[in-house]
Order: sequence, then structure tokens, then C-alpha cells
Amino acid sequence: MAGEEDGEFYLRYYVGHKGKFGHEFLEFEFRPDGKLRYANNSNYKNDTMIRKEVFLTPAVLRECRRIISESEEDDNNWPEPDRVGRQELEIVMGNEHISFTTSKIGSLVDVQSSKDPEGLRIFYYLVQDLKCFVFSLISLHFKIKPI
Amino acid sequence: MANAEVDALDFEDDDLMDEDGTADVDASSSPRAPQPKLKSAITGGAPKKTKGRGFREEADSERHSRLADRNFESLGTDGGPGPQRSIEGWIILVTGVHEEAQEDDLQNVFGEYGEIRNLHLNLDRRTGFVKWLELSKYEVTSVQKIFGISDSEGYALIEYENFEEAQNAITAMNGGELLTQTLTVDWAFSNGPSTGPFKRKNMRFVSDCYFLQSANLLALDMGLSYIKERCPVNYIERPGRTHRSRSPRRRY
Repeated sequence: MAGEEDGEFYLRYYVGHKGKFGHEFLEFEFRPDGKLRYANNSNYKNDTMIRKEVFLTPAVLRECRRIISESEEDDNNWPEPDRVGRQELEIVMGNEHISFTTSKIGSLVDVQSSKDPEGLRIFYYLVQDLKCFVFSLISLHFKIKPI
Repeated sequence: MANAEVDALDFEDDDLMDEDGTADVDASSSPRAPQPKLKSAITGGAPKKTKGRGFREEADSERHSRLADRNFESLGTDGGPGPQRSIEGWIILVTGVHEEAQEDDLQNVFGEYGEIRNLHLNLDRRTGFVKWLELSKYEVTSVQKIFGISDSEGYALIEYENFEEAQNAITAMNGGELLTQTLTVDWAFSNGPSTGPFKRKNMRFVSDCYFLQSANLLALDMGLSYIKERCPVNYIERPGRTHRSRSPRRRY
């Protein structure tokens, strides 16, 4: 999709599954007003949901757009979500609105053996870049450094 | 784009427009409609191109309650707009960082403005890979080194203990250079919405649907069909109240 400086921007990513420890998932959302929402849930050892939110500056949103621009995939040939889990990526940028759904990707082996290895590989790295960005933002803003 | 399959509910946009932005569009108030397969709800001069399975699937009913919940923790603000302090310091974002930059390079440059409490330097894996596909099957890094190409960049998040140190770093280094590449430096976190050209006024979260008032979308001068039900995608656009039109709606 073309990266557009003006126009709306919205991004949501979800990865999760349902199993022995409940609905375990990671989800984050960049909203057009600059709010980043982050949620991480598991019932493993009776753990509970983590939910954080913070407003980002336009500079951060621009960097997020840059991370996702220049990609032209489609999820037509990607594996469907399954028992192991699902991923969702929803992006509104400029005049395009995409909503991809696929299964979890364990490693590049899953990518290679799929019907669209090149598109899926781009998605795989894109998700890594996005997670890295969000984890950095959230942990730096909220986490206290151990002494 | 699978528009024919879509079961969008159309409402006179006057119904909602006339209520002074206070009416809550409640999913439970329209029990008659089944969960529609949503298409991107912009109609009019600038329709959104849609792509992806998410528009064709049945809605996952839990999907929306997750992010629609009100109970998200945030750090308090001291009131007023502007940059927000993080848990133990002030964080700035540096973009345009050369892909070969190391933490030391950043320490040397940014350490001048104050003691760096935290530094995250993240390089962009994806753009490097995309260029690999475009160039050839050769290993990307060796080709890059031969031609001196730098095609991926990264960003860094740097934390200082106090506001002045961070502000000085921003003032001094925004537009500056690192390893021949121009940096931009700015605050990372803010007390309030950064709406840019968009007005925040009509933005509210209504059960699972999300509405945005955008001053930019002059093209939305015509009617809009929007969805009152739970939607398989979280993001729905609607025009602002200032751009009403009584002309017949076009459906996409």
C-alpha cells in the first residue's frame, strides 16, 4: 500500500489461541488520535490480563507508518486460522483498509511451506518489526528498571 | 471486492447526525440484523479499497470487547497538552537511524545531553528483506556493501532522567546527522491525542465500533452507510457533522 502522509491511520494486530490456559492473546492498536492500546492475556498459573494505554506523539505514528508502508500483500493464499491459533492484522492507511487473517507462524519453515512464501515472509518480518516497536514503547514507558 | 456479499445496514445519516453526538450506537439496540460481513464503511468520493479475509469472514464476537474495554492502565498526567513523562524518566524517539549504527554511536552522540537511562535501538528487518527480493537472489548484505547501499533504517528510543536533558537532545539533534544519515528527534509520549489534521470532537468509542471525525475527508460529502452491529473489523469511518449531504447515497 502506498504510504500516505495525510489521511487516516489505524493499525491493529492480534495473535492468540484458546487452550488450557484460557484465551491467551497479545493485541495492540494504534489509533488515529495517537493512542496506543496494548493487551496481553493468559490464565497460565491464574495470571490475569495486562492492559496498558498511552498517547503517542505524531513522530511515533509517522515511524509506525514507515514500518508498514511499501508492502503489497494479500492474504488470499495464506493459511487459515486453526486450532493452534490465529493472527489478525488490520490497517487503515490513506484510502486503503486491509484486514488480514491467518494462522500463527511458528518459524520460517511454516512460511516456506505455505502457498505464498514471499508474501507471508514479508508479513512475518513486518509482524516482528511491529511487535518490537510496541514492546519497546510499552516497556520503556511502564516498566521500572530493576536496581 | 466482494461488495455484493456484504450485508451492510444502511441508516439515514441524519438520524445520527441530528443527535448532538451523544447518541450511543449500541449493538443491542438493533437486534434484528445478523452479524454482517463488513465492508469498509466509507462510501462517497473517496471509498476505501479493502483487502483481506477479515472482510469476508463472519465476525468473531469476542474480538471487539477486548479493545473496547475501558480498563486500560495509563500513567497520570500533570494536566495540559505536551510530552508525557514515562515511569522513571523522559523518552525521545530518534528516527532515520543508519542501519549500521550501534548503540555506542548513539551513546556518544546523545550522551552529551544527559545520562542515558535506557536505550532501545531497533533496526528494520522487513525493508531490508523487501529489497532483497527486488535486487536478486544474492545475499543482500554483500550486495549492499559492494554498492554502498543503505536501504533500511531504524529508530531508537532514548530515556533521560529529566525533561531538560531530553529537550536539549531534541533541540540539538533534530535534523542532525549520524553516519551520513539525517535524524529526526522528537518526544515519544504525549498527554493527549495527537490528532494532526483531524478534529477529535466527534471521536468516541461505541461498543465495538470506532468512529473518526476527519476534517480531511471533504469527499465524504455524501451519505454514508455505517454499521450498527458488531463488525468483523474494528475500524469504521464516518463523516463529520460538518459534511452532511442530502444527495442520494451511492453504495459500494
